[in-house]
Amino acid sequence: MRVVHYLNQFFGGLGGEEEANIAVEVREGAVGPGRLLEQVLGDGSTVVKTVICGDNHAAENLDSVMELVVEQVRESQADLFVAGPCFVAGRYGVAAGALCAAVQAELGTPVVTGMAVENPGVDLYRQELYIVDSGENVADMRAALIKMAAIARKLAANEDVGRPADMGYIPRGIMKDEIVEESAAVRLANMILAKTTGQPYETELTQTGFEPIPAPPPVPDLSEATVAIVTDGGLVPAGNPDGMPAIASTIWGAYDIAAVDDLEGADYEVYHRGYDNRHVLNDPDRLVPVDVLKELEKAGEVGKVYEQFLSMTGLANPLANSRRIGREIAESLKNAGVDAVILTST
Amino acid sequence: MAQVTAVTPVARMVGSNRVVQGKGIVYPLGDAGLDPEEEKDLRRSIVKQALEALRSEA
Amino acid sequence: MKLTLAIHSVNDARTGSGTRLDGGMLTVDVDELRDAVLQDRRLQSVDVEIASPGQPCRIGVVFDILEPRAKEPGTGSDFPGLLGPMAVAGQGTTHVLRGAAVTVVDASQEPGIASKMMEMHGDAAQASPYGSLHHVVVVPRMIPGTPRHVELNALRLASVRAAVFLGSSALDLEPDSVEEYELDGPWGKAGDGLPRIAYIGQVHGHQMVVEEDERILYGSNTEGMSPLTLHPNEWLDGAVVCSYWVMRVESYFYQNHPIILELYKRHLAGEINFVGTVATVAASLEADRNRNCLLAAHQARWGLGADGVVLTKYGGGAPHVDMGETARICEALGMKTVVQVSDSSGDRRAESAMLFSYPEVDAIVYGGGGDIGWNAAPVERVIAGTAEAGQALAQMTFIPAQALCGATNQQGASKIQAMVY
Repeated sequence: MRVVHYLNQFFGGLGGEEEANIAVEVREGAVGPGRLLEQVLGDGSTVVKTVICGDNHAAENLDSVMELVVEQVRESQADLFVAGPCFVAGRYGVAAGALCAAVQAELGTPVVTGMAVENPGVDLYRQELYIVDSGENVADMRAALIKMAAIARKLAANEDVGRPADMGYIPRGIMKDEIVEESAAVRLANMILAKTTGQPYETELTQTGFEPIPAPPPVPDLSEATVAIVTDGGLVPAGNPDGMPAIASTIWGAYDIAAVDDLEGADYEVYHRGYDNRHVLNDPDRLVPVDVLKELEKAGEVGKVYEQFLSMTGLANPLANSRRIGREIAESLKNAGVDAVILTST
Repeated sequence: MAQVTAVTPVARMVGSNRVVQGKGIVYPLGDAGLDPEEEKDLRRSIVKQALEALRSEA
Repeated sequence: MKLTLAIHSVNDARTGSGTRLDGGMLTVDVDELRDAVLQDRRLQSVDVEIASPGQPCRIGVVFDILEPRAKEPGTGSDFPGLLGPMAVAGQGTTHVLRGAAVTVVDASQEPGIASKMMEMHGDAAQASPYGSLHHVVVVPRMIPGTPRHVELNALRLASVRAAVFLGSSALDLEPDSVEEYELDGPWGKAGDGLPRIAYIGQVHGHQMVVEEDERILYGSNTEGMSPLTLHPNEWLDGAVVCSYWVMRVESYFYQNHPIILELYKRHLAGEINFVGTVATVAASLEADRNRNCLLAAHQARWGLGADGVVLTKYGGGAPHVDMGETARICEALGMKTVVQVSDSSGDRRAESAMLFSYPEVDAIVYGGGGDIGWNAAPVERVIAGTAEAGQALAQMTFIPAQALCGATNQQGASKIQAMVY
């Protein structure tokens, strides 16, 4: 295999933190850990180019470093791009992840990297990349490279990489169905028996942790504010003009309520299979409370009800999709001068 | 943003900062068991709670 | 409480004159079965067909699947509160046609992602726990203009009537084997020192509003229900059937509840002390959710004295929240928990998979089904409610796991697991 390898200034032998600003450079052949990489890859594999860059330089000039790395991999007709392993070095890990992701996306060349689980590069890139769990200890370089090489060989041969625990990479969080020997009932019984008797057990899914979201400041005087209604309950005008799907919508719609004081069931439909829609169809204000908000607008308690309500279908929606829709809705409302939002969720 | 929902654990899990208790999954701001005027009173009180949440520090 | 199941093996099935079971051959007299079901005057007609394992045959849209069973007269009531008079289920003797199924088709439902079907041959049939059964397929048709909830109620009654009618064919026969189900309950001393395990199972999710005539638990529609302690035998013997929202559940797997049967097995093996179960519902109203979650957990702790609890949910996404809350409260009360989660990650990403996140609820069995399925060969025969449904089913060349009865079952029968890579 022809390999392009990325190292930071430390592993590239240029120096420690004091050299972190050193600019990117390209060397012919293997450097430092690259020699070990050639060895564990075997089969006459060679590191044809080594790209070395200071951690700060990479962090501050990521786009140009990415461009350069992609170009090097392309020019060298490499079969594999390897970055690191980076252990706990955070800036190194983030750069390695970004470079691997760029090479993978632009060239489709197999990529692999390695990091300690706590490296910030892991959270950013685990879903996209095979990141070997290198541990924290630089002395485990060889072990990490052996795992990276095993994954690289499978990627190069276009084979299934296998399970995280078997191959030593950090779970990417991608789910694949498999038919197993034991029914769910047997697995449940095994697990409760283990958990109640103090034996080890392995959960089949690790829960997602959510970062706290900084709360926006309050809007003390709503009588001066424009308030919008947003819902994930799938309410759309009759005829469903945007083609809202009844599950996991990838779209959101904005529907005019400027001249409406009370939503009538006959004018609306619900596209959401996750709850019984009949009550909302009987009176859509139960989901999108236009009637009382317009009253409060007339009473002066609310400055203005935004002229549209925004709607999407939340049911079984992938998180990445929900995040994108959330961003788009927030941006659109912000640009329209909306000060506050009431989101209604089913 | 204030979020009105009858499934507050999910809102809290994802980090929603201003969560207001809705009535039911099938009608976050209603109650088919009430007569129309009572139901509107309920809806008004939930919307007012949402407005109060928007006016207050989260 | 002791339940005796008199097991009569069914190795083959056919239609013929005079319903009977003879040497493993179930003969179904179509007219007799039709008469039994047409006691319900709301039905206009009933079709009956048999579909056996390996036959190139497809069935849909499936309303429910049941095991044909009948109580030995004088020892209890068939589906008490729903079909027979109220009695506590789970006692006496029940005759079971093992190897057979009553499969009821809902003629008003279109085939689609939200509806279920059954394939009797090929890889899909082998992947379903129902693929090896002889299905007596019942297709009730309503008098036109019947409201949907009335139709569903009629389908429910037809399903249990057909199951009991067929089960009755074994009443006077010697069983091939006998299974006995008996527990000491929470008071027993036999299992001292073993972990005391309870099961908390949801029997409906109220984000689907129940109909007044929806019969779920002893004939009640579970509206306003508080969690209820049940002897495991009650689930096995007709106390519970599926609600009209049959997502990944069939009444067959209440009668043969995989989790309850597995816990029984572990109990008999001396691994655990199976102390009992709690039936509960997922709520639409948050007030109901808070009440149900607290009471279910407290019943397991103080009513059953459990050290460990297995929890399952009903239906789709939102009931996960109720299950997760209940498990969290169980853990806070000092009970260990294991929960079964069903896949709802549209993008097959683990980050999208969960609707609760509690560090203490750390033992999860994860059912899959989102990206697996089987290629299907053409079939000669489709048993469907309408010509259009039959055509749509006949054209299927790929059967997704989620559409196939039993494949993604969430009563514990499924062998599809979503692995995290």
